[in-house]
This record gives sequence, structure tokens and C-alpha cells, in this order.
Amino acid sequence: MAKHPDTDLVPYLRGELPPAERERVERHLAECPDCRQDTELLRELLEQVARSIGPPPDVNWARYRAELREKLEARRARRAWWWRPVPMALSASVAGVLLLVAVWTGYQMTGGEPITPDQASLGSELGLLQEYRVVEQLDLLEDLDVIGNLDGLDAGRPS
Amino acid sequence: MEPSDEALCERVARRDEAAFDLLVSRYQERAYRLAWSMLRNSEDARDVSQEAFIRLFEAAGSFGGRSKFSTWFYRILVNLCLDHKRKNRWWKLWARDDGDERGEPLLERQPAPVTDPVEKLNAERTMKDLGVAVDRLAPRQRAAVLLRVQEDMATYDIARVLKCSEATVRVHLHRALATLKKTMEKR
Repeated sequence: MAKHPDTDLVPYLRGELPPAERERVERHLAECPDCRQDTELLRELLEQVARSIGPPPDVNWARYRAELREKLEARRARRAWWWRPVPMALSASVAGVLLLVAVWTGYQMTGGEPITPDQASLGSELGLLQEYRVVEQLDLLEDLDVIGNLDGLDAGRPS
Repeated sequence: MEPSDEALCERVARRDEAAFDLLVSRYQERAYRLAWSMLRNSEDARDVSQEAFIRLFEAAGSFGGRSKFSTWFYRILVNLCLDHKRKNRWWKLWARDDGDERGEPLLERQPAPVTDPVEKLNAERTMKDLGVAVDRLAPRQRAAVLLRVQEDMATYDIARVLKCSEATVRVHLHRALATLKKTMEKR
């Protein structure tokens, strides 16, 4: 007998299996009394679970919508506040200080040389390090155009 | 003709407030019910479902129409519920007495009236035990079960809401129901 279609039974009961799968499950059920019994139990259990959840407590929907509207307005107001000049300047200053701290920490960790913006930009392009074997022989790390066209170089590489 | 959810969402992306109000009216009960089923607390359910609508308003522009609006919105809502549960796990464990608001008469959940008082009591206990067992499922398993039994969602849609494969959803459902079955057998 084929493997029991345990995980197919819920979709089967909902009638959502594609025809071929449905036929396979039906063939199995015709041969397997255990699975037939499981299917019936499952049908009953699903109905019981639905009943056990029950309805939620009543809600005053007009008040619900009014609250939602207030929350939405409050969220917009908060957003708008952040776009005013003072908070913007404040957050820009905080971001600046954080950047300085990050650069200084990087400086300390690398033993002296802070990461320059160019290096940072280069770093962001370094997905190309998948081609590291090629790159390490080029000694052209500063020329991003060359690196960006590694596929072209590949063709010209001596075999 | 009534505009589709997807058309309304496009209008919300252009900051059409009337379209937003209409979407809220269409989805408020479903959103609140699902949030309540997952969180078992009416205040939390209200807050989280309202937050889902706020996110909808803010992110309507990113709804690409690749999926149904309902699937996209449920994803926002379910993620918020899962986050809420994760954040409040330890606090709730410490503070809970019974853990939820199952205070309403359990018999009201029965579809048919049961006349025998012993049967009534048994039925009530069954419902309560099952409800507690659902609450104790792993969060994603519980979400899958609720989307299936409460929202009658197809596996394909549940997978899109939970951002996983259909096979994973089938496994979630199978494991969750196996756990629930065991719980009921132990009674």
C-alpha cells in the first residue's frame, strides 16, 4: 500500500486538491480503513475546533472606527513632526555624531587607517569578490570600471 | 457595481480616505475576529487589528496586485498578531490567571441545544479543552488552523499569508490537528 497521505487529508476535505492528487488520495482511502477513519475524525475535529473558538466579544464598530481614525491622525502628526526643521536638524546632528563615533571606532579597530568613503564605496561593490582569483592577479582594485567588466576580461585571459 | 477590494486598495495608495473607510468597513469584523482568535484578548485584538489598518493605509502603495487583497491584508494582520504574542509572551505568562477571555457562556458556542445537563457539562468541557489546546499550539500552527477553520482559507492562500510553501502549511495543519486529536483522546 502506498504511503499514508496524512498531510493531504485537510486539503482533501476542503476539496482543493488538484484532480490527480485527489484521485490518489481517494484510491488510498478505498484501500486503507485507518486513513478512512482518520479522515472522518479529522472532519469532525475541524468542525469542533471552529465551534470551540466561538465568537469574539461584541464591539461598538462606530467607536472602533473613530479610534482607528484618531490613531491614524496621531501617526500622521508624529510623521509630520519629524519632517519639521528642528527635529530634522536634531536627527541629522545625532546621525552625524553616530557617524563620527562609527568612523572613530573603525579607526581604532583597524589599528589606525579609518575607512575612507572611496573604500566604503569600493566595499559595497565587492560582490565581485566571487571572482577573487581573477581580481587578486589584477592589482587594479582602484579601477572599478575594469572590475565591473570582469566577464569581458575573462574572455581575454590566457588559458 | 461595488468596487473590488483591490481597486479600493489602489485608491488608498493615492490617499483616498473614502476608499480606506470602505475597506475598513468591509474587513473590520474579520480582522477583529481573527486577531481575537489569535490573541484571546479583546483590547489586544482591537489594537492589533486597528494597527493592521494603519499599516494598510501606509503601505497600500506596495500592494502590487500580485495576490488577492485579502491575502495581503491578512499577512499584515497575522504578522502583527505573531509579533504581539512574541513580545508579550513572558509578561502574559507571569500575569495571566486564566490567560484569555473565555468568560462568555461556553454553551453559546454550541450549534444545537443539548437538553441533558450531564451532556451539557461534557459538551462544555470538550469545547473548553479544545479551545485551550488550540491556544497552546505553536503560533504558526495556530495561525494556519485559524485561517483554515475560521476564514475557510485554501492551503495556497494560507501559504501566502504565512509566507511559506503549501507543503509547510500542510505539515503545520497535520501536526496541529494531530496534537488536538491527542488532547481530545486523553480526556
